[in-house]
Amino acid sequence: MAAAETTLVRSLHVTEFAAGARAMLPWLAGVAPFGLVIGVSAAQASISTLVGWLTGPVIYGGSAQIATIEMLNAGAAPAIIVVTALVINLRLILYSAAMAVRWRGTPLWWRATAAYLLVDPSFVVGIDRYQRPSGGNEAHSYYVGAAALLWVAWALAIGAGATLGAQLPAALHLDMVIPLYLVGEVMRKAGDQASRRAALAAGGVAVAAFAVPLHLGMLLAIIAGLAFAITAKEKS
Amino acid sequence: MTAWLVVMLVGIGSFLFRLSMVAIADRVTLPDTVTRATAFVAPAAFAALAATGVTASIVGLDLLGALPPLAAVTVAAIAVRRTGRAYVAVVTGMPTLWLLTFAVGA
Repeated sequence: MAAAETTLVRSLHVTEFAAGARAMLPWLAGVAPFGLVIGVSAAQASISTLVGWLTGPVIYGGSAQIATIEMLNAGAAPAIIVVTALVINLRLILYSAAMAVRWRGTPLWWRATAAYLLVDPSFVVGIDRYQRPSGGNEAHSYYVGAAALLWVAWALAIGAGATLGAQLPAALHLDMVIPLYLVGEVMRKAGDQASRRAALAAGGVAVAAFAVPLHLGMLLAIIAGLAFAITAKEKS
Repeated sequence: MTAWLVVMLVGIGSFLFRLSMVAIADRVTLPDTVTRATAFVAPAAFAALAATGVTASIVGLDLLGALPPLAAVTVAAIAVRRTGRAYVAVVTGMPTLWLLTFAVGA
């Protein structure tokens, strides 16, 4: 075992792992109903329930999973389904780029595992920790704690939806938990002018491009945010 | 069989997206512009996700129906501005949403 690998394996910080899992808890309130819905739609689709559930661990991205299940159910051409789902997941390349600097020097197997767990909630919770002091192995443990809990909750929620057809009461409006939490994160993080420009531009474009098909609005919004932030940085 | 294949192909493609930049980090030095841009992926992604979520909750509603979520976001933003704590957004925003939804009968 290489030195870096040994160090990483031996240095799992239990308290950081637990802190990461705790930081993921607010996300579960919003993510679990989405998982349940995907499970229910998988059970009701013409494909086998097992295939529908497998979209969770294999694709691991809610919007792309929904698109895949719905298009398979509608009998769309396989190539069209694959391209559509992958376009929805294009933003993962940007998340990968943001994590690349933080994960440099870690063993490839660790990076592959951590990358497999990379999705919107784990990115948000993880990047928040990496931006704080002591961002080395402690931050890796924090990320893994958050991402592992999300993975387990996601698999269970889809499984519960597929088997029980369960749905939480719509009156709770749990779909608003995550947007509100993110509003808090944006308010807290956007301290400098460039970050504020990134957030404002991305938020504005996300609203304007909401109706753009294939969820491309998200990707356009992030790119617009980056472009505005870099412009601000170069001017100052 | 086709369904299995489709799910596997989407899964492999998505994994390669996730691994793409992470895997080459040791061997390739990213251009300065890209490195600087990655510092802003978080605020841009957070804002885009939040805006998309809020828009999804009000799309198709009239002004009265859209009032509770928009007021909840406003209250949450003010609360975080005053306290500096992100979780306060949920603690203040959700009760605001429930109360106003009940009040307007949406």
